[in-house]
Amino acid sequence: LLVLCWCPGAGQDVGRSCILVSIAGKNVMLDCGMHMGYNDDRRFPDFSYITQNGRLTDFLDCVIISHFHLDHCGALPYFSEMVGYDGPIYMTHPTKAICPILLEDYRKITVDKKGETNFFTSQMIKDCMKKVVAVHLHQTVQVDEELEIKAYYAGHVLGAAMFQIKVGCESVVYTGDYNMTPDRHLGAAWIDKCRPDLLISESTYATTIRDSKRCRERDFLKKVHETVERGGKVLIPVFALGRAQELCILLETFWERMNLKAPIYFSTGLTEKANHYYKLFITWTNQKIRKTFVQRNMFEFKHIKAFDRAFADNPGPMVVFATPGMLHAGQSLQIFRKWAGNEKNMVIMPGYCVQGTVGHKILSGQRKLEMEGRQILEVKMQVEYMSFSAHADAKGIMQLIRQAEPRNVLLVHGEAKKMEFLKQKIEQEFHVSCFMPANGETTTILTNPCIPVDISLGLLKRETAIGPLPDAKKPKLMHGTLLMKDNSFRLISPEQALKELGLAEHQLRFTCRVHIQDPRKEHETGLRVYNHLKGILKDYSVQHLPDGSITVESILIQATAHSEDQGTKVLLVSWTYQDEELGSYLTSLLKKGLPQSTP
Amino acid sequence: YRDLHTFELQAPTRLIEWARGNRVCVAGYGQSDGNEILQLIPPPTLLTKETQGLCPERDFKVECGGFSERPVYSLKYVPDTSLLVTSGPPDSSLQVWQVSAEDSDVIKSVSTIATEDGTGQSWAKIATTSARAPCVLHGSRLDRVQITEVESRKNVYTAASRGSEELSGLAFLDCNALLLCCATGRLCLADTRQPQSLVEDMSVPSAPCSEQWCLGTRHGAQGLEPSSQPVARLSSRGLLTLTDLRKTSEFLALAKARVPSPGSGAEFLCVSWAPALEGYLAISGFDGTVHVYDTQSWDSSGKEAEPIFVHKGHAFGGAGSSGDPPLITVHTWHLQKPRTLLSAASDGSLHVWNWVQPCGKC
Repeated sequence: LLVLCWCPGAGQDVGRSCILVSIAGKNVMLDCGMHMGYNDDRRFPDFSYITQNGRLTDFLDCVIISHFHLDHCGALPYFSEMVGYDGPIYMTHPTKAICPILLEDYRKITVDKKGETNFFTSQMIKDCMKKVVAVHLHQTVQVDEELEIKAYYAGHVLGAAMFQIKVGCESVVYTGDYNMTPDRHLGAAWIDKCRPDLLISESTYATTIRDSKRCRERDFLKKVHETVERGGKVLIPVFALGRAQELCILLETFWERMNLKAPIYFSTGLTEKANHYYKLFITWTNQKIRKTFVQRNMFEFKHIKAFDRAFADNPGPMVVFATPGMLHAGQSLQIFRKWAGNEKNMVIMPGYCVQGTVGHKILSGQRKLEMEGRQILEVKMQVEYMSFSAHADAKGIMQLIRQAEPRNVLLVHGEAKKMEFLKQKIEQEFHVSCFMPANGETTTILTNPCIPVDISLGLLKRETAIGPLPDAKKPKLMHGTLLMKDNSFRLISPEQALKELGLAEHQLRFTCRVHIQDPRKEHETGLRVYNHLKGILKDYSVQHLPDGSITVESILIQATAHSEDQGTKVLLVSWTYQDEELGSYLTSLLKKGLPQSTP
Repeated sequence: YRDLHTFELQAPTRLIEWARGNRVCVAGYGQSDGNEILQLIPPPTLLTKETQGLCPERDFKVECGGFSERPVYSLKYVPDTSLLVTSGPPDSSLQVWQVSAEDSDVIKSVSTIATEDGTGQSWAKIATTSARAPCVLHGSRLDRVQITEVESRKNVYTAASRGSEELSGLAFLDCNALLLCCATGRLCLADTRQPQSLVEDMSVPSAPCSEQWCLGTRHGAQGLEPSSQPVARLSSRGLLTLTDLRKTSEFLALAKARVPSPGSGAEFLCVSWAPALEGYLAISGFDGTVHVYDTQSWDSSGKEAEPIFVHKGHAFGGAGSSGDPPLITVHTWHLQKPRTLLSAASDGSLHVWNWVQPCGKC
């Protein structure tokens, strides 16, 4: 039985996630992401790969989305409404709540501001979300009779989950994006010892040894503080909801401790609703937040207020969180244009920027940017980059493998050449196979399926009655007949099997010839043998039958004359297969010869 | 501090070696097998001469790695080749590895240079050069010092034996001159062109014999004769001596560092000269700190010296300090940036730091 993995899409960079798994005849799509760097059809995966023969809904049993980042769910409305899929889509409750907001926001910028046409509409987003079934953590969801899924906490962002997909006794765990170290507002990923046949893990940061969070935070706060102290403005474009909250908590605590007065603003619209959702899904945040929630809601900020477009022109220092995160459009870009010319100001990019965006350009060092209408914008403000994204590094991946104990590991999002070392490390430490497919490549993983066999009660009772009591530590050997009929397997006693199959039992009988020197008549030889055996085999039943033959238990011995030699007698010893041991013993006993004196 | 970056390695290292292309190498020294040798690319902040405002990445990247069955106590790259040599217990043999970063990211074990094992031999100290051919100078004791060609594994030089003390360090001063330092503090000079002669430095400051010493030579100094650079020796009691190799009978300078006594032994004693700063050296191995000294103000009186800077970061790092505080296992200077050092500790932490010059701006 096979498990196939396939990642359609292009590019070695962060790109998008979309994996197809075929497990025991069921087909599941894991994530359906959009590539943020392309502005044309390349941003969506090429689904015609799957739909060559027939409709997607018939082919796929379900779609699972791990979290709300657009590189994991951005292509979902396109997929379900424009390509066509009506089956179930599973995701966690927070993901279901926040996804449509992000999708709508991105749609607005792409279509309304940029004027793109081949894109999904607001209605499509709504229709798509109607097909979504929300799941709770650790809840086993029965997709159909054979397929079930379960979500585990993944950290990373609010509502991110790792999913276990199980069909019969075969299972796959898909991690999505996760991290193994808790941060200020989210806990660390956790999974039980579920022993899946395959663990699919992201490996973007696998070859990185990360700078400690404390140092990064210290530097971030230092930069913000210095800028604000000299009267400058700090712009922090935020990508998704996760990091923004983390940085808000960080700044809030810092402002409180240092008693700073400069205002901090949080742009309205998208992120205001997000804060609302964080409060709603408080159980998804980490322990510390939940504990302090009773005294003070961590997301109810004292120093952070809602932003209004007009504030951007206010004099004096301030800090503003604005969307979108790569400065490619919208409010953050507007503010950036206003503030770029002043060297006292600073922009801090807290996340990865895809090529082509203004964020990427300024991080690469460009200081003169061409804007719409061929206007040149000179960037004099300071540009900083602080990566706060939460992904697992090599140590984290090893930890997760240790927790779940998979039989095989598959790494996605890495570069095969640069991952040889990690592959060897995993294989050596855990003795499992590690795969690293390139995008578009199919991986076949062989699994050992479990075949359930029913044992008849009579056989079980009989076998456990023989011999020593059953011991949990020592395996007990049982004898039975395996009957395979239709699709069922049964273990029954041989007698019952014969009866059911209408077969007769074959009896095997062995006959062995032992030569003895004895010139007397057969009858007398037989008597000698009888007396001899009777004397030795005191525990056995030795009988002398009227026709001259001797029986030891169920073994028959007959004395006959040798055809050529009068002085030699031939003893025929015959026994059934079941009496093999006794038969062999008797034979070797008789071969030693008869005692000289006979009564 | 001007800059401080802290990292956590999966396993602690007791060596930090610089390689071509500004790479840094670390390796595990655990007793069980499965020690990793990692060649790392430092974050761009460390690669550039000036600390720019733009730092796209702040993390080390593992460029390639290898697995070693024995703990790795010492590692040296062989210049102008893609090979490196390691040594470690239980014996004094050396392992040769190949790094081929373009093809794959695995450091492969290539061969072993065996040595005759006498009794009571510990691990070999090593130094490499490629002056005439890629060679490695190695030995664990004074009477077992040899130079072996790396590729052919042929022995090209054996030092005359003047005793069987344990070595704590050795170095190539130039393509012919060798410097050997014993754990007792004794320094010996040898010339590969004259295998029988061994010049000794007798002036070890009188001290109880349980003291152990290690060596620090200055390398990378441009255009200066290596033998004119003073050699530093550090003892487990905190004594520092500077010696000019042309006048080995007297000290250039003698000072005492303020260190906790008696200290945790001499396992990780380390002293090194700053390649980009005149007269600066750093010491570590007594506790969780690294001391930086300016030796230009020292004399031969042996009085206590005041450190210019003390890095204490390792004592505070780490999640859940359970049990002993971490001990610095090794430190090294950045080859170009003047006041930048890297230090590693027994808890797996790796710090990269530089300090602000006290005089001038604050």
